Amino acid sequence: MNNPIDPRTKLFLVLCLSTIGLMTRNILLLFSISLVGLIISKMLGGDFFVLIKRIRKILYIFFFIVIIQSIFTRQGVPLINVGGFELVTDVGLNRALGYIFRVLIIIISGVIISTSSERDTIQGIIQLGLPYEFAFMTAIGIKFLPLLMEEFKDTYLAIQLRGINIRKLNISERFKITSYIFIPVVASTLNKAKKISISVENRGFRAYDRRTSITSLKLKYRDYLIIMISLTTAFAVIYFKWI
Amino acid sequence: MKNFIVIKNLDFCLDSKPILKNINLTLDSKEFISIIGSNGCGKTTLSKLIMGIYPYTKGSIKIENREVSEMSLFETGRKIGYLFQNPEKQIFTGTVYEELSFTYKYREDIDKKKKEREIQEILDTFDIGYLKNKSTFFLSQGEKQRVALASVLLNKPKFLILDEPTTGLDYKRKEILSEILDKYKNKIGVLLISHDYEFVKKHSQRIMRLEGGA
Repeated sequence: MNNPIDPRTKLFLVLCLSTIGLMTRNILLLFSISLVGLIISKMLGGDFFVLIKRIRKILYIFFFIVIIQSIFTRQGVPLINVGGFELVTDVGLNRALGYIFRVLIIIISGVIISTSSERDTIQGIIQLGLPYEFAFMTAIGIKFLPLLMEEFKDTYLAIQLRGINIRKLNISERFKITSYIFIPVVASTLNKAKKISISVENRGFRAYDRRTSITSLKLKYRDYLIIMISLTTAFAVIYFKWI
Repeated sequence: MKNFIVIKNLDFCLDSKPILKNINLTLDSKEFISIIGSNGCGKTTLSKLIMGIYPYTKGSIKIENREVSEMSLFETGRKIGYLFQNPEKQIFTGTVYEELSFTYKYREDIDKKKKEREIQEILDTFDIGYLKNKSTFFLSQGEKQRVALASVLLNKPKFLILDEPTTGLDYKRKEILSEILDKYKNKIGVLLISHDYEFVKKHSQRIMRLEGGA
């Protein structure tokens, strides 16, 4: 996880990549940003494909939106015509591709951020001037996300161990049974939140206005260089209207 | 039934780290067996392997002569009731009554009268009638455990695996659990996983020690 780039530099990088990604409609530029982001994430030690593997179950939703978007956009020159019905137009295809690349840029941004340790990222956010309370809440959120996933999995497992063949249920029954997963997860989340609030209060959370920190991040020359390059590139793209 | 669960030459590794080594074990369906051992010796892992929660790569686990790896979770769940270390994970509904009824929701072979009778019986057996309409959110640890165990038993399993059931229970609650287990002695088989040696000694016909995964 530890690499020589400051987490704030990564935040700047991600900010530049995602800003251009959101502003542009140029598919070639979106593709280039995705490619650059992918290379940067690889150089920083991130594994894009591991993340894709983890979220593969929700990827079909994106593909569904892409198909809907390309089919229901009626403007532009028809590319595929089925029985007199314009199935896909160039504008529809353009929008669908734009959507794919934008989602890709968001995922790549996440990979880039995740190459720093959680503690460093939080420290970076604090040193950027964000109040400690917000940074602390973010840290707690990040820490509990995998635990929450684990609890979802365990409860799903416990339901099956109660002798219920979920695969045999129809869609409405499946949907209903999924809702049962939320009760133990919500109960345990509330319990955890209660315990955390008690323990942080006991340890003097917000006892003083100012906090000191053992770790302190320092920007190095290479960080300044990367920030400058990324800002210059982003401004150039916007100024010369390459978007 | 003799040889209800048969484990032969079982090895299990997690992230290339060996957890269990060459486990051979036979459990009968009306036997009360306990596994004791220090933290991290593989007790819970073994129970999860029996249930089919973890896939094993070497060796064999058979329940009623069927290989666990070929069974679905719901199939092992119908044969063996499993009480998690943290009973919160297996309470899915808002009230105790709903929780006990949950078992019947997806069964077609039960009529309403039979269901009500069985629920009332289990409420009496577990002495939790006073909790019937109580929200599951506000139950104590001991109450949650009794409700979870009662719900599992309503499924009428032939065998029961209890993972650290005495954790977090005071003396009185342990006594209540003891009384419940006594009621089921010689009726269904029990595999108790615990490091509470006194509790284990009181109930078990056989005690096994797991140390360093063997």
